[in-house]
Amino acid sequence: MILFGFVILPLIYILISFLPVPISLKKGLSTLFAVMNLLLSILLIAQMREVGMVKLEMGSWQAPYGIVLVADRFSAFMLAIAAVVILACVLYSHQSIDEERKKTGYFQFLFGIVMGVNGSFIAGDLFNLYVWFEVMLMASFILMSHGGERAQLEGSIKYLILNLVSSFFFVAGIGLLYGKLGTLNLADISQKIIQLSDPTGSLTSPLVLILIGFAIKGALFPFFFWLPASYHTPPPAVSALFAGLLTKVGIYSIIRFYTLVLYTNHEFWNLVVLWLGVLSMVIGVFTATSQYDFRKILSFHIISQVGYVVIGLGFFTIDSLAGAIYFLGHNMIAKTNTFLVAGWVEKRKGTLNLKVLGDLFRENTTWSILFFISAFALAGIPPLSGFIGKYAVIKSGIDSGHMVIALVALFVGVFTLFSMLKIWLEVFWKPQPEVSEGTEVVKPGTERLMLAGSVLLALMTVGMGLAGEPILNYCQAAADDLMHPARYVEFILN
Amino acid sequence: MELIIAIFIGLLYACGVYLLLRRSIVKLILGVFVLGNATNLIIFLAGGLERSGIGFIKDDVESQAQMTDPLPQALILTAIVISLGIAAYILALKFKYFEVTGTHDLDQLKNTEQK
Repeated sequence: MILFGFVILPLIYILISFLPVPISLKKGLSTLFAVMNLLLSILLIAQMREVGMVKLEMGSWQAPYGIVLVADRFSAFMLAIAAVVILACVLYSHQSIDEERKKTGYFQFLFGIVMGVNGSFIAGDLFNLYVWFEVMLMASFILMSHGGERAQLEGSIKYLILNLVSSFFFVAGIGLLYGKLGTLNLADISQKIIQLSDPTGSLTSPLVLILIGFAIKGALFPFFFWLPASYHTPPPAVSALFAGLLTKVGIYSIIRFYTLVLYTNHEFWNLVVLWLGVLSMVIGVFTATSQYDFRKILSFHIISQVGYVVIGLGFFTIDSLAGAIYFLGHNMIAKTNTFLVAGWVEKRKGTLNLKVLGDLFRENTTWSILFFISAFALAGIPPLSGFIGKYAVIKSGIDSGHMVIALVALFVGVFTLFSMLKIWLEVFWKPQPEVSEGTEVVKPGTERLMLAGSVLLALMTVGMGLAGEPILNYCQAAADDLMHPARYVEFILN
Repeated sequence: MELIIAIFIGLLYACGVYLLLRRSIVKLILGVFVLGNATNLIIFLAGGLERSGIGFIKDDVESQAQMTDPLPQALILTAIVISLGIAAYILALKFKYFEVTGTHDLDQLKNTEQK
């Protein structure tokens, strides 16, 4: 039953918001629901310690025929991290989003995304996954264009068209796969694909279509162009939420799909996945170095960092998969936080151009430290969470004999550090080139909740770094389940 | 029959991609609709075309063997409903964009592009 809560809670919030209730109540409820979502996910993780997997068959229809919601340790981990990101973004939104947007249903659409993301993490059925994708996309389309500024509309058109195309790839793949196998349940597909006498040839085309659909959503190398063209256009809280959740859902799906289905033709897919990961990593980080806009640099880094997760999947050992899962969680939190700080900078200064900004460290030490923590976690500086994730991925790469790729990953880490240092030096450290005419005095208390959201994420980053071992052990257990798909299949079908 | 529908789907995809590559936003949107419909037809085709399949089955084995698989059609229905919602949104977006900028030209979108 607990799984049902993840999709019904946001839905209840959306429905309540349609009622004519005062706006202050809607705001209060949004925080309450985000906290409830977080509690629910903690409860699920606690449950995972005993059982390992939970499932819910909708309407008591048996697994391969009915829709089944399922969570294993990996899903529970993603749900928990997503819930933290959502809570932080909701808190931040209270004071960074203008009243006009809040009145026209900002939080409603935000919870639409929550519902879609939670649903995608627990979908046990390929078509169900598609439907949750669409729920999430529909809400994100609206949030992207919500407010109707010119830049937002332009960004929305690009975002919309490319994401729709990715959905078409995905659905066409599902249709063809159904035609071949006669099932949509992931566990059932996994079982049937082993039984096929020729698992390689006839199924490659639907699987390629599905993988391309996921890769566009996850912004991997040849498919990422929508991301840097649109992520800097909506309000900061929205782009932080997108950066933390949307591409990660695509990556989650790739990992789930690879470990259940694609691994059966390992020789072919392994190479594809490794190349996707390496190219995303390298190209994302190189293009980031040439940017001079705070949020655009961060957008390109999203592409680079999902590359790490994908190579972790490509190495395909328990250690590397555990590293990839840990890295995915770390990245969702640290990345969102850098976007939140960028939003604060924009609110204070009205621009995100690195050349114009400066001196923010002297102006506000707290926010600078928040940026410092999350940016250097992304770069992989030791006590913070990024170090453990990168270390786990790269070490497992060397152990599994992918020396060159591990070296490339280290090399990319240096460039990440370079970009983060660039932002740090240009925005926070150097003296401001032209002193702007009397920056307006900020009223006390108007940024308190923004700060709360960002501090929550920064604490998580430090916490994940300090408590690295228990979390990594949990990820090991999750990876162990992923590497033994028979357990998943057994659990769903019996 | 399968062959005809397969060729037809191919043509629809060709039209859709052609429209996507045009400069006008209206044609771009039409291209998305065409692609969406072509995709729905793929599911239909992949589910198997059965000329005399029956809709309602009795309890005997014989009629179950003749049955057409109803699931692909259910999937298509879902996909159509989703694309209906998206069509409504995308047209509203286009309308708003035209109001703000007064242009249909996709090249005007490059202000937000990465350099």
